[in-house]
Amino acid sequence: MAAAASALLTTGSILLIGQVPIRSVPAFLSGDLFATAVQAADFALLGLFLFFGIRFKDLLITGLSAAQIAGLFFFEFVILADSHAPAAGLYCDSLSLVMVLLICIAGSLIVLYALPYMQEHERHLKPGKSRNPVFFSLLFVFIAAMNALVLVNDLMLFYFCFEITTLCSFLLIGHDRTRTARENAGTALRINSMGGAVLLLGIVLIYTRLHTLDIQEVIARVQGTGALLIPLGLLCVAGFTKAAQMPFQKWLLGAMVAPTPVSALLHSATMVKAGVYLVIRFAPAFAGTFLSTGVAVCGAFTFLSAAALAVGQSNGKKVLAYSTVSNLGLILACVGINTRSALSAAILLMIFHAVSKALLFLCMGSVEQHIKSRDIEDMRGLFGEMPKVAPIITMGILTMILPPFGMLLGKWMAIESAAGNLFLLFMLAMGSALTVVYWARWAGILMGSDFRGKPRPERLHVLSTISLFSLLGLAILLSVSAPFFHTGLLPGSITGAGGFAPVNGSLANSAGSFAVIPLFLAAAASFLFALAGSGRSSGAETAAPYMSGIAGPENGTYIGPMNRITRSVNRNYYLSAFFGEQRLSGAVNACAGILILLMMGACI
Amino acid sequence: MIYAYALAGVILAPFAGVFIAGLDRILTARFQARTGPPILQPLYDIAKLWAKEPMIAHRFQPLCVYVYLAAAMVSVGLFFAQSDLLLIFFVQAVGAVFLVMGAFLVPSPFSQAGANRELIQILTYEPLIIIVLAGIYLSTGSFEISAVYAMDKPLLMNLPLLFIVFGYALTIKLRKSPFDISASHHAHQELVRGVLTEYSGRQLALIEIAHLYETVLILGLCSLFWTTGVLGTVVLLAATYLAEIVVDNICARMSFKWMLKSVWTTGLALSAVNFAWLYARGKF
Repeated sequence: MAAAASALLTTGSILLIGQVPIRSVPAFLSGDLFATAVQAADFALLGLFLFFGIRFKDLLITGLSAAQIAGLFFFEFVILADSHAPAAGLYCDSLSLVMVLLICIAGSLIVLYALPYMQEHERHLKPGKSRNPVFFSLLFVFIAAMNALVLVNDLMLFYFCFEITTLCSFLLIGHDRTRTARENAGTALRINSMGGAVLLLGIVLIYTRLHTLDIQEVIARVQGTGALLIPLGLLCVAGFTKAAQMPFQKWLLGAMVAPTPVSALLHSATMVKAGVYLVIRFAPAFAGTFLSTGVAVCGAFTFLSAAALAVGQSNGKKVLAYSTVSNLGLILACVGINTRSALSAAILLMIFHAVSKALLFLCMGSVEQHIKSRDIEDMRGLFGEMPKVAPIITMGILTMILPPFGMLLGKWMAIESAAGNLFLLFMLAMGSALTVVYWARWAGILMGSDFRGKPRPERLHVLSTISLFSLLGLAILLSVSAPFFHTGLLPGSITGAGGFAPVNGSLANSAGSFAVIPLFLAAAASFLFALAGSGRSSGAETAAPYMSGIAGPENGTYIGPMNRITRSVNRNYYLSAFFGEQRLSGAVNACAGILILLMMGACI
Repeated sequence: MIYAYALAGVILAPFAGVFIAGLDRILTARFQARTGPPILQPLYDIAKLWAKEPMIAHRFQPLCVYVYLAAAMVSVGLFFAQSDLLLIFFVQAVGAVFLVMGAFLVPSPFSQAGANRELIQILTYEPLIIIVLAGIYLSTGSFEISAVYAMDKPLLMNLPLLFIVFGYALTIKLRKSPFDISASHHAHQELVRGVLTEYSGRQLALIEIAHLYETVLILGLCSLFWTTGVLGTVVLLAATYLAEIVVDNICARMSFKWMLKSVWTTGLALSAVNFAWLYARGKF
């Protein structure tokens, strides 16, 4: 069932290519009945949050949901009492299309992977009655809500979808019903309720000034005027909470207690991308204002600080989580720079990040089920135990940091776009170097011969294999075809004059060019050259590692004092004196909070 | 045409590299009151390493070494094709990452420590180089090397402090004291040969060749600071490299923590001042 639904989603999204832009107000979306239904659902949803708040005895959730109910009541029955806003229906432009493709394709591959994974998961957890049907239903509701979120053109419908994703993430994070799962689900609800409240406030302010809820109309009327900065700023802050920007990152870090497919979904195709989408969607409305610079600075700061925190971590899932926070920061920094080239960078980064991050999270799930640990140090020589997954992780990591792959293309675009702003440039340059450290360190130890465990056969279900290889293939294929789909798929307002355009297989603008196709040819040639070269040395004798003494009988051992066989134990540098969570988190959260306050303060 | 330049660069660069490395060794020897080897000694060394009985420490190591060499060659090719500076730097980084990955493959404590330290070296110099390249962009309006050659005034006049910052990055990238933290030139210290410990024979020969390419690339980037006359370029390069050798000879190896702290603070401060100066002169 679920597999068929995934296939259907993917096909549907692909069929949408070439149909944009669509602007339609279907009859069922514009009737009074539908409006009342959404209204009722909104209140029911907030009531549910209120219920959770009271049940957890959490003052913040209770307060925020009560405030939202009051606000919504005031808006729907006092402000909107006699003036019905005309229904704005659906709007699908290139940006929405990119999002739909991302959500449906990456989301489907994750669901595919989840099918065997969740069976294995329940075998370990033994919940009594299987809760997988609920789990998969929630995954699909989540994917549906995300699709709706990027397609609606009505602010109140947008708000509704935004809250649905909050609910889904809350339920999915708490799925395992352990104590940590409950606590972390609570954190997610708390932070995302803040986002919801801020979003609602922003929408109400926009309506009171413009008397419309039509997103496209709002953008068109505000564009270039520099007006309405406070509500737009509030929308950006709501986006920051969803995208887990500093100082709101805590919920995303906590979300890793959920089964791996949930993390993969939250980090790649859904949820965090909803926040980014919100900011990108409204980017034209605040282009050229201080708010835009503020978004860029907050994003760049998150990019830098989350990368620094990732360097201090040896927990693989935490590294992945911080890297998501960091990369979303980079994307938002690009949105804030708000030039055509920077927006290209933002959208490309969003696509490539979704694919590579889904891949890495899913791999991480397989590793965790196999070695029962998520510590990077326990993955030394993983290749000895998992000869399929270890190379896939290594490749996945390389697609994150090296040219000619897409993430680096995006980072290159981002740095070139930021070069005019000293502050942004410094943060992006340092963040970029930190990113290389935490990824390369991880990729390095996976393929080594430092394997210590007892080899067990690697079991990879056929669906998981399909999912992993499809994601890896997508990461590479999309990178190769970047110059083409950049022009074909991205909004014309971005790829027009002054933005990036394909020139002889390169992506170029007036400031520079990235030779995508030539580099891929060079990379392919180098790889063949390397394979041929290493093939020649395959007959070479294998030497034992140098241990400053007589090597022991096994790889990695030496004859130590008293003629005892001693094993050398290696550990990577995690530099916790510089980058540890305890050392950095407080200061980083404070700085990020101040930056957001400054951003909002300047809007007033 | 640009392909011809690129090809010529890739073919000629190792010879230039041998010459520079030979000169480096002779000058270093003279500073230490020795005569030093013949100028082609680096070439003889490579030939001798190549002829050694093949031994590898891990089956994926040769792959890493060849990718390292290929990345170095491609980046030099891109440089001579006058391509995008930031792109050249990122392609070069592929090689750096693969060298580290190769060192990580073998569970020798020296190679592992070297790999970790090499990553810290990358962490230290990468932001500085990106900032220097951005400085070049602000002066020329483009990241392409061709734009630098279109200037009628040497970049050094606009970017004097960024040139010093570049010097820091250069010293780290060439692994010269006080920044020979991940691999020392002489294998008798606490590191043995750090990141290079587990490479031998042909692998090491290939790494030496890749290093020649990297030296040429770095000096090539350095030459961009004076593009208005050949004499000026030669003087700048000679003075810079001589300064490197002197610094290498008079400094002891420092710890990586010191490197990270001191280079980032001085480097960022100098860059900020230089940028402020560019800004004051209305460059951006």
